[in-house]
Amino acid sequence: MKSHFGKYGGAYVPEMLIPALEELENAYIDAKKDKKFEKEFEDLLKNYSGRPTPLIFAKNLTEKLGGAKIYLKNEGLNHTGAHKITHCLGQALIAKRLGKKRLIAETGAGQHGVATATVAAKLGFACTVYMGEEDIKRQRPNVFLMERLGAKVAPVGFGSKTLKDAVNAAIKDWIENVEDTHYLLGSVVGPHPFPTMNRDFQSIVGSEIRKQLRETEGLLPDYVVACVGGGSNAMGAFTNFIKDKSVKLIGVEAGGRGKKIGDNATRFPTGSVGVVEGYKSYFLQDSDGQLQKTHSISAGLDYPGIGPELSLLHDKKRVGFVSVTDMEAVEAVDVLSKTEGIITALESAHAVSYALKLAPTLSKEKVIVVNLSGRGDKDLFILAKAFNDKKFYEFLKEYISELGIGS
Amino acid sequence: MNLIDQKLAQIKNDSRIGIMAHTVVGFPSVEKTIEIVKILEEAGADMVELQIPFSDPLADGPTIMKACEDSLARGIKVKDSFIVMKKLAKEIKIPLLFMCYYNIVFKYGVEKFCKDAKEAGASGIIVPDMPVDEEGDEHLLEYCQKYKLYNIQVISSFSPDHRVKLNAEKAEGFVYVTSRRGTTGVKENLDSQLSKNLERIKKFFSIPIAVGFGISSKEQIGSLLGKAEIAVIGSAIIDVIRDSKENEIEKNVSKFLKEMVF
Repeated sequence: MKSHFGKYGGAYVPEMLIPALEELENAYIDAKKDKKFEKEFEDLLKNYSGRPTPLIFAKNLTEKLGGAKIYLKNEGLNHTGAHKITHCLGQALIAKRLGKKRLIAETGAGQHGVATATVAAKLGFACTVYMGEEDIKRQRPNVFLMERLGAKVAPVGFGSKTLKDAVNAAIKDWIENVEDTHYLLGSVVGPHPFPTMNRDFQSIVGSEIRKQLRETEGLLPDYVVACVGGGSNAMGAFTNFIKDKSVKLIGVEAGGRGKKIGDNATRFPTGSVGVVEGYKSYFLQDSDGQLQKTHSISAGLDYPGIGPELSLLHDKKRVGFVSVTDMEAVEAVDVLSKTEGIITALESAHAVSYALKLAPTLSKEKVIVVNLSGRGDKDLFILAKAFNDKKFYEFLKEYISELGIGS
Repeated sequence: MNLIDQKLAQIKNDSRIGIMAHTVVGFPSVEKTIEIVKILEEAGADMVELQIPFSDPLADGPTIMKACEDSLARGIKVKDSFIVMKKLAKEIKIPLLFMCYYNIVFKYGVEKFCKDAKEAGASGIIVPDMPVDEEGDEHLLEYCQKYKLYNIQVISSFSPDHRVKLNAEKAEGFVYVTSRRGTTGVKENLDSQLSKNLERIKKFFSIPIAVGFGISSKEQIGSLLGKAEIAVIGSAIIDVIRDSKENEIEKNVSKFLKEMVF
């Protein structure tokens, strides 16, 4: 199996992890040839996760903007509320084949953590999820869900206390417990074979978009737009269209609160090539190679690296990258809620926001597909703050005083 | 002849186990690092690895990770590590090695890093996240050879034979074997399968073996006699530095290391 994407990717890990990566690659190669694996995976996707997810024509939004037709691929309707469950099910089945008893994962927004905890409960694994202390503060509801699902949530208090540090902590746990543990890495990043394996699992998103759009419009989209943190939902939506040169692929990064270093997570054009967390790709780093702090209102995009295949697609100019600020993303949540009745995740709202800018510049025959990677329930507290919802604060105050705590 | 070879020959001659000590550059300050390394030599260290601090040290446990973080927070740059290397190489006789993660080397420029490290006085480098498999794209071994710098391979005592063999083909100077599954950091007991694994690994190598990860007592080092040529002490020294008042660091490090030396 190819371990590099051009000069990117690879497996830059301590020797002690290499046998585990070799074992994983071999198990994945075997599984791909195994009809039983395919059947079991498809069955779980259909009957547990709820696939296929709908491709919704955003009629109201399209009319409001007066330009290209906008379609929304609603991955938020997956069980657990985001696309993450798909690669979790795939990897958990591989872990079963390897006889592993425990799943570990890193999580940023908590979506991948919840999805991992869910498949662990469903398929009978013990589970530990590493999560940065900063992210725990931002995404407490998901911590609660993971714990209810029986997982242990391990706070990560070093570095920037966000997703990249959770990845480091999970890798270290894996190094120590590789015998009985599978590291269920949650994006198209990390050492080979993770970027390839997760892309393959997620590519069902693009396949469904193609099929669904053929049924409704009878053609290919002109644009596929997806937000990009590590890149799992983007690679899921893009992969099936890479060979179709007419389809423009746009990755939307987190513009955060501004262009200053540390205020955003835009790897393009500010990042440079490096080798961190086991793979070679673009990273936000200083001239010494130290990773830089990043910021985004959406924890899922708050990450200094990007999947190696996306770096190659960037260099080949096959995927274009743009960025959207925190404020624009919040506005996009609002617009989509009120026009289409969909409260989308802040991550996905970055993609929506770009589509809001793009659609009016295109003619009415053009078609934009926006990948809504997740739904917004998890962002309740952040959105309440962003919309300055005083009544929500009062509710919280009363709730706390009723419990007799905090006074 | 590389200084490391001379040192290894001397250790062999003395029929003892050598000590490679480790410290993080800039922890707690550049000046202190220089003093600490001098003290380590005086207290009996045979070699010292100077770790260039990195934001995301994959193979390190909390102790060294925190030391790296503290050092970076003080504004320590990669060029400071070269300055420390240069100064120390002039003042002490034992071989010095750079230990760092590959991104530091990569961003610096692989050839330039090897050239500058050699010129600064390093005898070798240890880059734990650069497996031999990626050499084709990176040329780290190639430039180490060009500038006569030993690239010390790090393998695990649990590495399967095919991986040990692959590394043995490329290893120079000595090979660094991690004593257990896991990251760096002090542990009370060495892995119960360590002796057996070292015997297995030894068959593949004609060069000496250094054992590291979790070593913090004379008993542990004693148990390695005859099975390995060098014991590596890393996190335990960082712990001593962290637990010492600033004016007692040298005294405490010296006392600690002297207790380790056979």
